[in-house]
Amino acid sequence: MTDIRGWRRHVATAFIVAWLSIQIVTPLVQKFELPAFRYRWARFGWAMYSRLVPRYEVRLFRVSGAGQTEPIPTIDRYVRGYRSPEPMTRLALYVSEDEVHGRFSRLISYVAREQRDGYTYVASIRWTEYPPAGVPTVVEFRATSTR
Amino acid sequence: MPRQPASSRWFALVPGYRLATVRVCLAVTTLVFHIPKFNRFIDAYAASAFHVPPALPFIPLLTRDGGVVLIILNYVAASGVLLGLGPRLCAWFLAVSGFYVIALDPGEHYAHNAQFHLTLLALIGCSSDHIPLWRLLAGNDDAGDRCPAWPEHLVRLQLSIVFFYALLDKVFNPHWRLSGTVLATLGVRDHAPGLAWLQAVNQAVIRAIPGAMSVLTTALELFLAIAFLSRPLRRAGIVVAFAFVAYLEFLLRPGVFAWDTVAALFVLVPSADRGWRVLHDPHRRACRVSASFLSRLDWLRRLRWEPSDASGNTDDATCLRLISPYGRAYRGPDAVAILPLALPGPFFVVMAMARFGGGFLGSRGYGPWYDLPFVVLALWLLLWVSGAVRRTARPVYAAAVRAMVRTGRR
Repeated sequence: MTDIRGWRRHVATAFIVAWLSIQIVTPLVQKFELPAFRYRWARFGWAMYSRLVPRYEVRLFRVSGAGQTEPIPTIDRYVRGYRSPEPMTRLALYVSEDEVHGRFSRLISYVAREQRDGYTYVASIRWTEYPPAGVPTVVEFRATSTR
Repeated sequence: MPRQPASSRWFALVPGYRLATVRVCLAVTTLVFHIPKFNRFIDAYAASAFHVPPALPFIPLLTRDGGVVLIILNYVAASGVLLGLGPRLCAWFLAVSGFYVIALDPGEHYAHNAQFHLTLLALIGCSSDHIPLWRLLAGNDDAGDRCPAWPEHLVRLQLSIVFFYALLDKVFNPHWRLSGTVLATLGVRDHAPGLAWLQAVNQAVIRAIPGAMSVLTTALELFLAIAFLSRPLRRAGIVVAFAFVAYLEFLLRPGVFAWDTVAALFVLVPSADRGWRVLHDPHRRACRVSASFLSRLDWLRRLRWEPSDASGNTDDATCLRLISPYGRAYRGPDAVAILPLALPGPFFVVMAMARFGGGFLGSRGYGPWYDLPFVVLALWLLLWVSGAVRRTARPVYAAAVRAMVRTGRR
């Protein structure tokens, strides 16, 4: 036998067509916002070394009723590797600024909900390098924990 | 000979050694880079109480026990791909598990090199080469294993698609085009003092002419996207792609993308053609040992063994003598220097181990081990020096002798 025939060939053909369609269409729709066909950076678009990677510092802490800043206890339990209250320097390598803001606003709301101690929980983000256009240099998210 | 139609070429049966070699090389990068990185993600994710919503709302979140099982299964599957034990199932498992981990938290877990690696794993999971690692290492065992060619063609097209979209990005991206801003601001890894000057020269050139470098990069990617589709450009495509990713890896920013690209390039090289002739003396023990060793590294089945007296050359039977498919003869250090071209799979594995093993030691503060692949490369290039000097010196010497004779006659 010198080639594949019959149903195996049909299955292989269907797989090849599906594979190539996905591989051609996905980066295209990721890279160009439809219907305006405007270029944008996005994941799954083969956009290697595409952006000036924004760098930011984030501080996670809590504020007592008297206005005193304190570290969030057991922050490592919520997200492994996070520290509080010292700033953490991070790169927004594969995320947009909205995703960065969304992640920390969700995190701080979650921590406040879990702690139930009356403190106000804060995530303070400071864009330090190549800040995204139209975004303030410092963005803060607060969530008050109810007892 | 009439050319086969494209559909026949896709479904023809071809030697399975190419896909088996790609599989082994991918398995090595999976084991030394991809699995440790993804298992760290899994561990950190499973140990955290807070999670962002996954990219796909229907996928189950990873529990602590599930994470442990997935970590173990990843190692088992990667070993399966390496050894060729259930390689299709194992490769698809790794691809699906990798995309699952990315989908859990794309902001933290996504990387282009990871996407490329998982894509190649899925494609290698389509291969039905049925050549386990021990058969690949069995030397002269050429059972005529053949498999459908279409996974090789898909890998080739995938390379073309990746380079096409990379170039499209540079055309539309304001930070590339004629400005080259991204290139000018790229941070690079510092090397040991002996190599730092190379890095400094490269950085100086980029910063002096970022626009030109941006255009050059875009043009290179356009060439590669076309070369992987066009048969006449394929050989040039292999050389340019190798040089391009080697430059990215060693002079710009290291990452697994370069290694996966090189592994994928193996689908474009000849295999089972026995195109390289090795002349040896079967009566000498040293020759027999050398033949046995080399045949185990001949994963692509490119070497053909011939007694040295068959060509009428018995003078240097103790040395390695190679004759390329184009009839060019190499002996001694020249033959050793050319071996990686005939045996690219094992050379890839050695370099990958040097790169990621060195990276592992370097990251633990044991010294500038990041430069280990440079040392291996330098040793290899050193072997070329004697040949290059000889090739240069020979015509110079001949010209000098001619000139002296002419002067003497006068």
